[in-house]
Amino acid sequence: MTLEGYPRDLTLKDGTTLGVRPVEADDKDALLAFYRSLPEEDRLFLRDDVTSQLWADRFMASIDYQTVIPLVAVTADRKIVANGTLYRTLHGWTRHVAEVRLAVAREYQRRGLGTAVLRELVRLATSCGVEKIVASVVDNQVGAIRAFEKRGFHREAVLKGHVKDIRGLKRDLVIMSNDVSHIWEAMAAMVADYSPTLGG
Amino acid sequence: MPKTEIRVGGLGGQGVILCGHIIGKAAAIYDNKHATLIQSFGPEARGSACSAQVSLADEPIGYPYVKRPDVLIVMSPDAYSQFAPTLKPGGILLYENELVTLDEKVPEGVTAYGIPATRLAEELGRRLVLNIVMVGFFVGATGLVSPEAAERAVVHSVPKGTEQLNQRAFRKGLEYGLELTGRGNGGPRHDA
Repeated sequence: MTLEGYPRDLTLKDGTTLGVRPVEADDKDALLAFYRSLPEEDRLFLRDDVTSQLWADRFMASIDYQTVIPLVAVTADRKIVANGTLYRTLHGWTRHVAEVRLAVAREYQRRGLGTAVLRELVRLATSCGVEKIVASVVDNQVGAIRAFEKRGFHREAVLKGHVKDIRGLKRDLVIMSNDVSHIWEAMAAMVADYSPTLGG
Repeated sequence: MPKTEIRVGGLGGQGVILCGHIIGKAAAIYDNKHATLIQSFGPEARGSACSAQVSLADEPIGYPYVKRPDVLIVMSPDAYSQFAPTLKPGGILLYENELVTLDEKVPEGVTAYGIPATRLAEELGRRLVLNIVMVGFFVGATGLVSPEAAERAVVHSVPKGTEQLNQRAFRKGLEYGLELTGRGNGGPRHDA
C-alpha cells in the first residue's frame, strides 16, 4: 500500500518550505539522527528509546501504512525535522480510534510545523475511516498542547503524576482527543436519504 | 451520445439518490452533457425502497422519467426484483453481488456485472461509501461518463473531510468495473 498525495510541500508561517512524505525504507539512519538530535528533555516524554538501533529496526519493520502510518517533514537536503505517526488497530473495540505521536526538532518548534504535520495526520486518519484520534501530552508541553488544540483536539482526561520529567518530578499526562466522527455523520445524513432538491 | 436511461435502486441509507445525483452531475457539469434526475423513496428513508432515475444525453432532455432503463444499478434484492424485468433488451445490469442473486427476472440479452461493493467499502474503512464504489463501478463498466468527470463530481458532492476516502472508493469501483468488463486492458473477467 502507498499513501496517495505524497510527497507534498509544506510552507511554514515564516515562509520556509519543507517536504512532507511517508517514512521510506532508507530513512532509518536519517530518522535515528533526527531523534538523537532532540534534547534529552524532549526525548524523555517519548514512549520508546528512540535513539537505539533496536527501536529503529523495530519501527521500520512495523510500518505497513495501515496500522502504522508515519510521516516525516524533511528539508531540501533530506534532513528529517519532524516525525508524526498514526497508530491504529484494524480489529477489536478500539478499531475506530487512532493514536498520534509527534516529535519536532527544536529549531522548528513554535513555527507551525507541528500543527502542519498534525493536519496531515488528521486528514490521513479520516481518510482511513477513523472516528477518534487521541494523543498523550505532558502538562508542561504548552506548544504541543496548543498545536493539538489548533487541530481540533481537546483535553479529555488527565492522569495525575503519571510521568516523571528529566529531574524526576512527577507530572500530569494530558490525554487529548479529537472526535472526527461528525465528518462521517454528515456523510451518513447525506446517504440516508440525500435529496438535492431539499438542499441536502 | 443518444439518450441513455439509468435507474439506481436500493434501500434508503445506501446512498442510492446520491449515486444517481453524482452520475448526473458528472455528465451535466463536468462532461458538458445533459442530465436529469428523478428520485423516489419511501416514507421512512432508512431501510425502505429507494430509487433514482437518471437520463443522460447530448441534447436537452424533454422527458425525465425512466420506464425502461438502458442501465440498471441495484444494491438490494427488492430493487433487483422490482426493476430487473424493466431493463431494455441489450441493457446492462450492475448489481451488488453479495446482496443480490440473479435469476430468471433478467431479460434476454442483458449483460450483468456484479461487484461486492459493500465488502469493498468496508475494507476501505466505511460501509457508507458503498454507493461511491457503485458510481466507480458504473463508470468503469459502461464508460457513459468519463472517469475524470465522475471523480470530480464525487469530490465536490461529499462532505468536507471525507473526500479522500470517497475518492478511493470511487477508484476501487472504477478499477473493478474496468477489469470485469475488459474496458481497461485485456479481456473481460467472466465471474459475473
